[in-house]
Amino acid sequence: MADPSSRSPQLRLVGSGCEAAPEASRATIPDTEWAILMAHAQDGDRAAYQRLLREITPYLRSLAARRHRDPGDIEDAVQDVLLTVHAIRHTFDPTRPFGPWLVTIAKRRFIDRLRSQGRRRRRELPLAAEHEAVAALQVRFDEGSDRRELKKAIDELPPMQRQAVHLLRLREMSLKEASQASGMSIASLKVNVHRAVKNLRRMLGDRSET
Amino acid sequence: MIATPDLIDSLAANMKPVRRLRPPLVRAACWLLLAALVVALLAVSQGMRSDLMPRLCDPAFAVGMAGAVMTGVLAAVAAFLVSLPDRSRSWLLLPAPAAVIWLSNIGYQCLMPWISMGPDGVSVGEATRCLATLVLTSLPLSLAMLVMLRYAAPLRPTAVTLMGSLSVAAITATALSLFHAGDATAMIIMFNFGAAAMFLGLGGLFGRRMFEWIAPRADIS
Repeated sequence: MADPSSRSPQLRLVGSGCEAAPEASRATIPDTEWAILMAHAQDGDRAAYQRLLREITPYLRSLAARRHRDPGDIEDAVQDVLLTVHAIRHTFDPTRPFGPWLVTIAKRRFIDRLRSQGRRRRRELPLAAEHEAVAALQVRFDEGSDRRELKKAIDELPPMQRQAVHLLRLREMSLKEASQASGMSIASLKVNVHRAVKNLRRMLGDRSET
Repeated sequence: MIATPDLIDSLAANMKPVRRLRPPLVRAACWLLLAALVVALLAVSQGMRSDLMPRLCDPAFAVGMAGAVMTGVLAAVAAFLVSLPDRSRSWLLLPAPAAVIWLSNIGYQCLMPWISMGPDGVSVGEATRCLATLVLTSLPLSLAMLVMLRYAAPLRPTAVTLMGSLSVAAITATALSLFHAGDATAMIIMFNFGAAAMFLGLGGLFGRRMFEWIAPRADIS
């Protein structure tokens, strides 16, 4: 479950101060300053609170970037942590360091987020080549239904027109062959197939509009 | 999605001053005081069992009772400590030794009556009264714990619920053995175990959902 990096001891940096921090940015976490800002915020100082949230955001983003790949995910995760910090800001004890408090909240929110993403992935499938194949199949089904519709429309034609279409268009006979097969004159066949096509166009056109 | 700087501005603009939580030990003590009150009220209404004093002289019974009480107290302390983000999860082990004493003692008692007197030791009336004690003890304590620890919802809901349930179960078991003479019977032991298992199980299953239901929500508007 979750990603393998969640097991790595990456979050101890803050709790133990600066001696274990491999990156310069992480070594300069102003723990005391943030604790003081939060204490002021708990007492209702909005400016201090705004400054605190602005200052912890890049740090949270760097924590989130280790667990999430997608920049949108990272930003969502950061906002999730900010909302949680806001909701439980009364649980911070100013006599204790701010870093571990923040990191535990962030860690829990990230893990919950990865878990729910994992659950979602198990339910939902990414769109892959197979789904394209299914979509193509759907198109062919549509063609099939068009064919059925055309056949139905032909069946609805008057008998002479229906026979003309059947012989000349569907069986692709020449006018002469069709004339011999049906006993209709060539002129009559021409007129009937012309009217039939006009009728079919009207019928199918009407149907597609409704 | 709202932009993060806008979210920060909105949170800051809507911020109200908050009262800090009291230290976890103080809050645990408050909850335990409530537990003592509930048990005392039950003692007044139901009366102590008649053979309590002689039974307390029995080392096995006394050790079991002490184990249950200690489990209740330590699990409550652990629940309040672990509910805070900056406390170690190792506090979860705090009630473990007491719980072992309590549960192993139940196991010992459980064997004795089955061998010596058979399963039909408890009448229906006694069983019903036991159930009443169980509900009257555990329900208010569980609700109080749920409200007091609601902020733990986005953090460690399962661990906190397990500790809270263990505490409630142990205190309920204590109440049961104070008021009902059935501690040597299969029925009361079933209740003891049943209460613990029920609360641990329900806590594990629904703790998260209950916490989410009562959890504080960020008020941004």
